[in-house]
Amino acid sequence: MNMRGQVHFDRIVKMHGNFSALKGIDFTIQPGEFFALLGPSGSGKSTTLRILAGLDMPTSGTVVIDGKDVTALDAKDRDVAMVFQSYALYPHMTVFENIAFPLEMAKVGKAEIEPAVREAARKVKIDHLLDRKPGQLSGGQQQRCALARAIVRKARLFLLDEPLSNLDAKLRLETRIELKKLQRSLGVTAVYVTHDQEEAMTLADRMAVFMEGQIQQIGRPSEVFAKPNSVDVAAFIGSPPMNLIEGRYADGHVEIEGHRLRTSHQIAGSRNVIVGIRPGAMRLEAGGLPATVDLVEDLGDTAVLDLTLGGATLRARVSDGPVPKEGQAVSVTARPEDIHLFDATTRKRL
Amino acid sequence: MAKSLAAEPAGLGRVMSPSGTDYSRALAVRERRFATALLAPAFLALMATTTFPLLYLIWTSVHRMDLAMPFADGFVGFDNYRELLQDSRFWASLAVSLIYTGTTVVLQVVIGLALALLVMGMKRGQGLFRIIAILPVVLSPAVVGMVWRTFMLAPEFGIVDYFAIMAGLGSQNWLGDPTLALVSVVVIHTWQWTPFAFMVLLASLAALPDDIYEAARIDRASAWQRFKRITLPLLRPAIVMVIIMRTMVALTAFAAIFTVTGGGPGTATEILNLYAYRKSFTELSIGYGSALAVALLIVTVLISAVLFAVRRAR
Amino acid sequence: MIDKRFRIAAVIGISLVFLLAWVFPIVWSVMNSLKTEQDVLAYPPKFLFAPTLAAYRDVLFGSGSILPNLLSSFIISIGTTIVTMIMAVPAAYALARLRVPGKRFAGFYVLATQMLPPVGIIIPYFLILRNIGWMDTYQGIILIYLSFSLPFAIWLLVSYFEDIPFEMEEAAYIDGASRWKTLWRIIIPQVRGGIAVTVVFVFLNAWNEFLFAVVLSGNTVRPVTIAMFNFVSVEQTLWTKLAAVSVLAMLPVIVLGIVAQKHIVKGLTVGAVKGGGRR
Repeated sequence: MNMRGQVHFDRIVKMHGNFSALKGIDFTIQPGEFFALLGPSGSGKSTTLRILAGLDMPTSGTVVIDGKDVTALDAKDRDVAMVFQSYALYPHMTVFENIAFPLEMAKVGKAEIEPAVREAARKVKIDHLLDRKPGQLSGGQQQRCALARAIVRKARLFLLDEPLSNLDAKLRLETRIELKKLQRSLGVTAVYVTHDQEEAMTLADRMAVFMEGQIQQIGRPSEVFAKPNSVDVAAFIGSPPMNLIEGRYADGHVEIEGHRLRTSHQIAGSRNVIVGIRPGAMRLEAGGLPATVDLVEDLGDTAVLDLTLGGATLRARVSDGPVPKEGQAVSVTARPEDIHLFDATTRKRL
Repeated sequence: MAKSLAAEPAGLGRVMSPSGTDYSRALAVRERRFATALLAPAFLALMATTTFPLLYLIWTSVHRMDLAMPFADGFVGFDNYRELLQDSRFWASLAVSLIYTGTTVVLQVVIGLALALLVMGMKRGQGLFRIIAILPVVLSPAVVGMVWRTFMLAPEFGIVDYFAIMAGLGSQNWLGDPTLALVSVVVIHTWQWTPFAFMVLLASLAALPDDIYEAARIDRASAWQRFKRITLPLLRPAIVMVIIMRTMVALTAFAAIFTVTGGGPGTATEILNLYAYRKSFTELSIGYGSALAVALLIVTVLISAVLFAVRRAR
Repeated sequence: MIDKRFRIAAVIGISLVFLLAWVFPIVWSVMNSLKTEQDVLAYPPKFLFAPTLAAYRDVLFGSGSILPNLLSSFIISIGTTIVTMIMAVPAAYALARLRVPGKRFAGFYVLATQMLPPVGIIIPYFLILRNIGWMDTYQGIILIYLSFSLPFAIWLLVSYFEDIPFEMEEAAYIDGASRWKTLWRIIIPQVRGGIAVTVVFVFLNAWNEFLFAVVLSGNTVRPVTIAMFNFVSVEQTLWTKLAAVSVLAMLPVIVLGIVAQKHIVKGLTVGAVKGGGRR
């Protein structure tokens, strides 16, 4: 249907003096996709979005939108819409004027502006607030106003820079769902920057995980979760984070603190590895690793256990069966296919 | 697909070629062009009204330029400056400038600070002080000078003279006696500008956090100790700022003295600024007047350098 | 107990003395302007009298009316304000918001120009204007007034522009606005308050200027601060008329000062706060 909104980044490098903020970013986003840029602060995800928007320009590399090289093009000529973290509503204009502004700049006729503004406002349910100034709106309403301003022009790209981070927790969850519905109904390509892995996991069709100016992994959220391709991605995705313990692989088994666990990986020879096990994949079963329960965080339907295993600390999430007491000795294990192995030196997935 | 897209010629890359070029520089160039357009009118106007006159002033200061005797005009090198160093009226006017500046600035800061502390402690009436303090500050110094010269200080008419007679001091020639005239112009300047120091220091006082004082009270500091050990150090930047600003203004004060005494009687209230004016526009010795103005500029720069050093210290 | 009461009385007493000292010359001018020629010369001075507007009638509508001089003052002040703002608003925006090489120097330059003694500017300026025949013209006096009004206005406006978040411009660019449109439609409306404050102070400073006016004024350009000398001469002083003229000269700036009351400290200390180069 809508075939606009394809993005391609080719070897994008961004230098700030001698500091390289982006060290060669490559990715392609397909039309209509919801694409998340996920990473800790300072990882380069916001810089990437700003370069895509035209607010910053790369030091080298090429940005292509819909088959055209736009690298040197000003933001105003790129036909992209953006929702800012601070919303950046124009305080001296009413909600109506705010939403109408992009249309005005695009020289849309007066007669067409009015219905278009009402339509956009209706989609985000603020059509009753059109005469207010941004200062008279709640945080959630301001956020919707920013959304309406972004969707009114039907731009080919919809950029969102941590749009939910200024909302309180409950509103954030509601808005997240609506945002996803809105993007689906518009069929527009969305690029979404966030440091919240849960947001990225739930919203995105695909995501790119950023660390220190580089993309560590691109893929569907479930893929990235199931097969993190490095120790850093594994530690970043999932809550509580994956247990990562130094160990040694030999012959279909990993050895941790002198105890062996069977794994489904088949690698030639024996080598030092980092063993990764998601807390949710840990099972309290006999015949595993002997550990002591340090702390129990009871969350009602599940409980998170802090365990000591020799010199290592592990976390396990248990959702059924009896919850052990603090100080109790337990035996933990994991299914062979739930054990991730990373190279101890390159820290890459094996 | 993606590869072929990237290989396409850059149809829109009209500023720079797509390969190996720093696009962020292109953005910076565009921004600089815009900024230049915004800055140009103001900076051209400032160059025309300050930088160019300054250079011209230095040029005229090394010339003999006499509007009354234009036939004798010509380049004289540093003669004007040599003459200036021998000129007792120059040294006298410099002394008057320093006395005038020193006394008015000290009076303004001391009275202004004392009043600010007094008013800060008041539960009611602060608003009244804030309004009244605005009045002298916004007035034209020329009008202020005129009002003082006539309705306040005129012998046997002005209200100050009336009070002097009532107090048994007898009628005084406030602006005719050399010492009294200097005192009068100092008082007038202090009257007009103490509210400035007062308002600035009151604003800084009001911005000091309360909890420091509460902590000091708990530490059993006396009122005097609290002032000396807490208020004064915290207020120091504001005080130095007031001193710098008021010194610059006092050094180049003109209107009030010009209207009140015209520098007289004789040269009793002739500050350097006024001397440069009189030399240039009354005696029409533009060249020598220019040298005096340059001397004033040098004095101003020296004093402000000292004050900025004080400000940066600690 | 007595000690405390004494202190309160002392505070009130000192306060009254200073409040009176500040108000009195102004109030006394107003009172004298409302007196008759007989009342004004009375000794001891009269504090109670039958007020009359005769002096105002005379100075405004009598022979030698100062209406042209008031008009002159307004033309100078309004002209200076308009020209200053047209130049200062864009310049301040660029200094506050744009990445320009040499911005530090530009900021320092603006500050340094404020250190030049006015008398050092007026001597060469007088020679130039004499040569190009601009003595006693409005363009001549407004141009030289830029020497102090521009640095002042730029400094004051920079502080207001700096308060606007950078996302404002970015949002506008994304919405398709050019740089000029962004400045005009998005940024300037948000500093309306700061612009109003700046206008008040530029007007006030232009109205009060005296040295340049003394040198450059003539029969055409003759502001009220110069014209008031018509009422004092060696032979006689026209007391009530002089008082009336003084009050008329004070009135606009007092009104403006009270209107801009909340901003006066900022307006008075502009430049000094950050003095010595920014950042």
